[in-house]
Amino acid sequence: MTRHRDASMALLAAAAVWAANAWAGAATGYSADPHQSRLEFVGVQAGAEFKGVFHKFNADIAFAPDALANSHFDVQIDLNSVDTMDKDRDTTIRGADIFDVAHFSTAHYVTRSITKTATGYTAVGALTLRGVTKDVPIDFQFTAAGSGARLEGSAKLKRLDFGAGQGDWKSTEWVADAVKISFVLALRPNN
Amino acid sequence: MPNPSTSGRYTAVAQAFHWVIALLVVTQFVLANWADGLPLGVHKLALLARHKSFGMTVLMLAILRLLWRLKHPPPELPPGMTHLERILARATHVVFYVLLFAMPMTGWLMSSAKNYSVSWFGWFTWPNLIGKNEAAFDLLRSTHHILGDALFVIATLHIVAALKHHFWTKDDVLLRMLPFVRIERAKSENRS
Repeated sequence: MTRHRDASMALLAAAAVWAANAWAGAATGYSADPHQSRLEFVGVQAGAEFKGVFHKFNADIAFAPDALANSHFDVQIDLNSVDTMDKDRDTTIRGADIFDVAHFSTAHYVTRSITKTATGYTAVGALTLRGVTKDVPIDFQFTAAGSGARLEGSAKLKRLDFGAGQGDWKSTEWVADAVKISFVLALRPNN
Repeated sequence: MPNPSTSGRYTAVAQAFHWVIALLVVTQFVLANWADGLPLGVHKLALLARHKSFGMTVLMLAILRLLWRLKHPPPELPPGMTHLERILARATHVVFYVLLFAMPMTGWLMSSAKNYSVSWFGWFTWPNLIGKNEAAFDLLRSTHHILGDALFVIATLHIVAALKHHFWTKDDVLLRMLPFVRIERAKSENRS
């Protein structure tokens, strides 16, 4: 009897979720084409900016302008694929004091909500880096292109919020705390 | 007051350029050698950041100094010097100027090739002169070091020559580059 009630409750809950989704409209599932997508960051080292990219990342995107409640991003970034156009700097960034890729090889970003803004959209989501999870808002624009779409956006974060800077690297005198993130994703529909 | 460039003394501005650049060059050697012995890290980064800021300062001062020199020729060398001594003195000064430009330029180029842009004390960033190029970086770093060694040799020669003029020949070659020595200067004039 109890089991039946649990089953029917689960069914009801599923039906409610389905109904909510149906009411909100369906979001299209996409994934980012790795060859035409870029995930970049800009840091400041000794007063001068430097640019880096992550060559490997997986972006699962569900998005529809008329179904924001059902839209979400789920992005996995391979931190080993960091490239700042200098091997010494890359090695330092991968090292125990910064990304510590030996223990935390990926960063993970998952959105909680997406809302419309005057110029595009804002996603509120959580970034997990070095075992620390913090909210990082992303401003982005979505442009449908053929069967796919182009997703372009930016975010700002503080590296020390995630402990990306231990020991001497905790100082912000020579490496700034603020890091700018930007991305351009070429989205292909999943089906 | 007589025109400094014909009175046998360097102008006050020329003296200021000389001593400020001399102090910066000495600082550059200290910073470079200190940083060289350090592993990659914040400390090395900080020392090299200062080294680059000072280096770009030297480059700017060297340009201004050369412009000043064109308008205000240095005093004549003392009459007692032999032909060879004159050639040596001139050559040393020419090489000095070449190195005052070549050192910061190779430094700026090697930073560019390494993709470590040069900031000036965090106030602004100099543009990269060339793109990322590991082979060019290695070549430029060797060049920077060799020129640094050459600068050390030339500076040593320069200092030894200045002291030789002062203590051995007893002319006013050193004094005319020293500020605040008018009395000493008058003495040497009396002697000649």
